[in-house]
Amino acid sequence: MADGHGLLAGLKVLDLTHYVAGPYATRLMAAMGADVVKVERPDGGDPARHIGPYPDDEPHPEKSALFLYLNTGKKSITLNLKSEAGRGILQRLARDADILIENFRPSVLPALGLDYASLAASNPDIVFTSISNFGQTGPYRDYAAREINLYAIGGLMYITGDADREPLQMAARLAQYGAGQNALVGTLSALWHRENTGEGQHVDVAISEYLATTLENALSMYSYTGANFPRTGNRGYGRAAWGPYPCKDGYVGVIAGPDHRWPAVAELMENASLADPRFDDRAGRAAHAEELDGLMLPWLAEHGKREIFEQAQHLGLAFAYVASPGDILGWEHLRVRDFFAEVEHPAAGRLEYPTGPFKADAAPWKLEPAPLLGQHNREVLVERLGYSTDDLVRLREMDVV
Amino acid sequence: MSSALENVRILDFSRIWAGPHATKLLADMGAEVIKVESTRAWDPHRTIVGSGNLPDGERGSDPWNRSGWFNTLHMSKRGVTAELSHPDGKALIEELVSISDVVVENFRAGAMARRGLGYEDLRRLRPDIVVASMPAFGNSGPWRDFIQYGIGQEQLGGIASMNGYLGEAAPVKSGVNFGDPISGAHAAGAILAALLYRRRTGRGIFLDMSQLESTVGVVGEHILGFQMSGRAPENVGNRNAVYAPQGAYRCRGDDSWVTIAVGSDLQWHDLCELMGSPQLADDSRFSGVLARHRNHDGLDEIIRGWTRDQDPREVMHALQAIGVASAPVLSSEGIFSDPHYQERGLLELVDHPSTGPYLMPGVAWKMSMTPGEIRWPAPRLGEHNDFVYGELLARTESEIAALRSQGVIGTVPDGMGEG
Repeated sequence: MADGHGLLAGLKVLDLTHYVAGPYATRLMAAMGADVVKVERPDGGDPARHIGPYPDDEPHPEKSALFLYLNTGKKSITLNLKSEAGRGILQRLARDADILIENFRPSVLPALGLDYASLAASNPDIVFTSISNFGQTGPYRDYAAREINLYAIGGLMYITGDADREPLQMAARLAQYGAGQNALVGTLSALWHRENTGEGQHVDVAISEYLATTLENALSMYSYTGANFPRTGNRGYGRAAWGPYPCKDGYVGVIAGPDHRWPAVAELMENASLADPRFDDRAGRAAHAEELDGLMLPWLAEHGKREIFEQAQHLGLAFAYVASPGDILGWEHLRVRDFFAEVEHPAAGRLEYPTGPFKADAAPWKLEPAPLLGQHNREVLVERLGYSTDDLVRLREMDVV
Repeated sequence: MSSALENVRILDFSRIWAGPHATKLLADMGAEVIKVESTRAWDPHRTIVGSGNLPDGERGSDPWNRSGWFNTLHMSKRGVTAELSHPDGKALIEELVSISDVVVENFRAGAMARRGLGYEDLRRLRPDIVVASMPAFGNSGPWRDFIQYGIGQEQLGGIASMNGYLGEAAPVKSGVNFGDPISGAHAAGAILAALLYRRRTGRGIFLDMSQLESTVGVVGEHILGFQMSGRAPENVGNRNAVYAPQGAYRCRGDDSWVTIAVGSDLQWHDLCELMGSPQLADDSRFSGVLARHRNHDGLDEIIRGWTRDQDPREVMHALQAIGVASAPVLSSEGIFSDPHYQERGLLELVDHPSTGPYLMPGVAWKMSMTPGEIRWPAPRLGEHNDFVYGELLARTESEIAALRSQGVIGTVPDGMGEG
């Protein structure tokens, strides 16, 4: 890489991912300086381009917020992998890549002759990462799943929502983002192994298993006691003061922590009854949850979320509030830390993007606009692979690119 | 080499879930993680009360070594104790820093510096050290001294604002404290990227990882979307903006549910056939995705009527056979008994000396050449003092005995009596 500054500068990533999970992994790689070439289908590209929100609710494949966010800093080429010429180009790109990452259904790439075994034949030290709903093996391997089905099979849904109502999915795409994060960890672990030994390998990430391994103590609890971790709505672990509560202008996180600071809640809410020693520990707050809520709710109803949050924090309490995207964009704290970066995109215009999950002076985030569909066909095919301009025209006419 | 990260040593000061989740992922990949606690300040997860944290609810003689929360997150790590306020304890830790590749901590901002272990101190001990510092709000900015846990990050990070039952304003928290695994996995990825950077450049790095920013990172499309439209997503319950019908439908048995998401008219047609009501496919109330969205309540009732007396796994198999996305809502018991997870080896039998053998969640993904593995159970408090101080720091047995008698190291939390 010319700039050479990112943590992953110089790394060559061939990106066959779409939607969310894989693209988030490669977004992080690109923002850390890796050279990411994203391969999209010529007819419409990454389906995320066709999911909103859009500016003024006007669908446009170059203006999808989901696509723009997840694909910053990548190069886009279009390839029809169902054509022999398309597959040939992909094989050439794979020969030169450090990493190939894909999230097709497990049967797709083997049918095209583009699976790990085939591509490793000409690039044995490639790290090849597959992300799928259920993994590359097992009886559900070829089953279809949307986000809701993943929360269901992954165990998070059963414990989310009210005890006497239906279990709830998560509205944020946590399953796919999280699997993308695991894919990054698995891929970079494999890369580290390759740096040490010269040996490549195949990494198999299942989105369902990401969820099933982030259930806190739900699985150990079942192992230890035979009891299922229950659904407890906004009373986390059945406790009071471990969840969102209504306040004057929204919802505030009354979070009883650290435990020894509980008496400060009485000070905050100007109500000595809250300092009753029965409420001092978690077990006591759980046993007297309704009574405790009854003492807090009237005060909360008269105070605003931001005010409660900051006052509580100044008393050493870990309160929070339910923030909307607009709230988050307005926080001075994030501004001071330069968490947002302005990115100018030729179709979508100038927007503020979240940068990434860490700050490092020596390795700032590299946020460049998401690519237009096929924007880098010429750069990649002609300048890198040495096809002629005539070849490119022919490939276009054959609907390969 | 059988583990990917065999030659990586991580000194881990982190507590609870976010930091320990990061080092769990790296330990699963073979890193040598040394968790630092003391007999005065141990990971609070060791002594959390309730929530099925102890085998059969029994405290045993050493309850701090029997915690399910702790023992799930610390498999394959080593555990040492060192009293940092004692000069000999400080010296042990400084020596460990000098032979480590990475330091991880998730204390509040500034806490490490107050212990004499800020980035500059660490760099003096090990010039190319990689430091992942994970305070709730990062190491700078007006909220740097605020504190927060995973539950609050769900709220501040934007996740809760769109999560709830259809048509209701109230947010619903996730069943876990989800900010933690988000920040933990981000940290693991960043640490590996930093190690590759160090390998390339010879330079260490300080990673200032705000758990708040980490959480906002997984709702990034809504941060952009708000700027585009001025609107934020509202609670949709179990529905979807595109697929219809989509929902959770009650099945036979106690608290038993199946999820179904129909992605096309063809799938809807096949579902009607499967339900034995082919005439519904031609019913104008449900023909076309727009109509199905408009009449979703009625659809839900019809589907509920069909699933009510069925087993959720059988519904899944029947729907998957016709290409419709479906899965049962699995409880912990459902995960343990699921044939797919069993074949993939999700759960592993881990024999912990203080609890006996129990099934625990294993490695979160598969690798063909360096499959991750659970090498040993979570360490008992100070379990690896002898190994780490004896083998790695070459302290003699009598030196270690002296550290023990001075209370610099130990295996029993203060105030908890003889173990």
